[in-house]
Amino acid sequence: PCHDTARALGDSPASLVPCRIMPVRWSRYNPSYLEPEVKKESYQKPLEELTEEEREQMELKAVRPIKAAPPTLSSSVFSDPMISKFTNMMMKSGNKVLARSLMSQTLETIKRKQLEKYHKAPENEKVTIECNPYVIFHQALKNCQPIIGLSNITKGGKTYQVPVPLTDNRKRFLAMKWLITECREHKHRRTMMPEKLSQELLLAFNNEGPVIKKKHVLHKMAEANRAYAHFRWW
Amino acid sequence: QLDRGCALHTAARDGLSSVSSQDVPAERPRAVFHTSESDPAKHTEQHEGRLYNIPLEEVKAVFPHGLPHRFQQQIQTFNEARVMVRKPALELLAYLKGSNFAHPAVRYVIYGERGTGKTMTLCHVVHYCSRQGWLVLHIPDAHLWVKNCKELLQSSYNKDRLDQPLQASVWLKNFKASNERFLQEIKTQKKYMWGKRESTEEGRPLREVVEQGLARVRSASDAVGVVLREIKQQSHRGSFRLLVAVDGVNALWGRTTLRKEDKSPVSPEELTLVHNLRKMVRNDWSGGAIVTTLSQTGSLFKPSSAYTPQELLGKEGFDALDPFVPIPVPNYSPREFESCYGYYLERKWLQHEKAHTEDGKAELQFLSGSNPRQLDRLAGPL
Repeated sequence: PCHDTARALGDSPASLVPCRIMPVRWSRYNPSYLEPEVKKESYQKPLEELTEEEREQMELKAVRPIKAAPPTLSSSVFSDPMISKFTNMMMKSGNKVLARSLMSQTLETIKRKQLEKYHKAPENEKVTIECNPYVIFHQALKNCQPIIGLSNITKGGKTYQVPVPLTDNRKRFLAMKWLITECREHKHRRTMMPEKLSQELLLAFNNEGPVIKKKHVLHKMAEANRAYAHFRWW
Repeated sequence: QLDRGCALHTAARDGLSSVSSQDVPAERPRAVFHTSESDPAKHTEQHEGRLYNIPLEEVKAVFPHGLPHRFQQQIQTFNEARVMVRKPALELLAYLKGSNFAHPAVRYVIYGERGTGKTMTLCHVVHYCSRQGWLVLHIPDAHLWVKNCKELLQSSYNKDRLDQPLQASVWLKNFKASNERFLQEIKTQKKYMWGKRESTEEGRPLREVVEQGLARVRSASDAVGVVLREIKQQSHRGSFRLLVAVDGVNALWGRTTLRKEDKSPVSPEELTLVHNLRKMVRNDWSGGAIVTTLSQTGSLFKPSSAYTPQELLGKEGFDALDPFVPIPVPNYSPREFESCYGYYLERKWLQHEKAHTEDGKAELQFLSGSNPRQLDRLAGPL
């Protein structure tokens, strides 16, 4: 079976492909495949300006195969990986069109609310009002990210909630997950998602709201279970 | 370079007019793409591609209905109503200014692809006519009369026809809001009976007919019919000019999605409102003009690629409207696109930091294809 997988992955010699069962979610590409380069700026640089590493990279690209670009990777100046991740998490049963339109309506709603506030405010307060929906989104996510998490560790038959450091990816995931579940479950059934989400994001931007409270509750639990911290072995 | 040329060229001309406008002194002088000329009668080619302001009280008086929903949201967010002066509208205004009102009314059909600005052109013309003191009969969307009607009553006037009380009363309310003084001046020319006991005598102001329609919702459609008839008969006298502005006129000659109680489909001529409106759009009266818009967006049983009059009106509609003056509305020209983009920047609608760069602008132009609606939709989340 490992020779078959080797042949499937670009006809490389069997010695390069480790003989193991590849999990479905991990990449099935041979390690020799390179990532596609989407940024326009890197192609517009003339040859002289390139540094040594970049020249080497270019020569490598001439001989190595390149992975197929996923549909979410875009060369648009307006694309944001965080927004794409959030859109994917909002998506249900593969309906990316709906998820993306909900996301754009959310950003537009945030912008409208903030602009209305901005135009009505007196001159000295105008500087404090943030109208950029992307800045608000990123700041709100940052405010919602927990610093420390809890993990279930079983020792001597009993399961303890042990405080554990979180990776950046896990923090981002938790922040987005909490925001989306909060909007889906704890709001009135008839309110539209853009409206609910924009409200939550604006509250999180100002460090208020139920998601920030959830983060604080988690921190308090971790602080309370400080005694079990030595159960962690990694 | 074209823009800088425009800036120098028009800044000199507008220097005098911008001083006389009521700008707050602390604000910078309004940029190239604005014009302080808020009277549509004075718009010329010089103002093409620029945005003019309609004061908010005037918006409420002239457009109780009729503005597109996204434009209304934009008015609320920016706290001002700015409409772009474009070539099709200028063409129409020139025709209206030069038309002879002793001749039968000329029909103008504004057509174009989806989202190119046909309704906004119609609103520009409606604003011009109401500023000139015309009586404006504005039907915001004829498609609303042929679909999604919850109540259909059998008409008391003619057994074969069907009434739509809700739609008629909503339209009467908006019509009353925009044309108060005409309703006082125009008098009925014969006696009308509303059922067995109520009637409107001859010589009473038309306002009473409208109020009768609003009070007794069952007879609202008949009230609309009476209003249209009276206005049409009296327009040739010359005491007022009449503008019939219909958005989505292809609804009058298509199919409806309504059904009678025995589940048989309703054709448009069986509806009183549509029947009366068809009589209004015929060119057998004089003393005004008929400006209509084709619309595929709300239309029924028409393919989404159809935009020409032949396709959308069908044979029946085309023969009924023939002869008419067709007015095509294209996408934004490069100058109009610059103007719209500059307006969004100035009003802080484009917040994304990359949207201010040349790359962002080029991307917006490419993605929207210079289509006004697509540009608006794209600039929303940015």
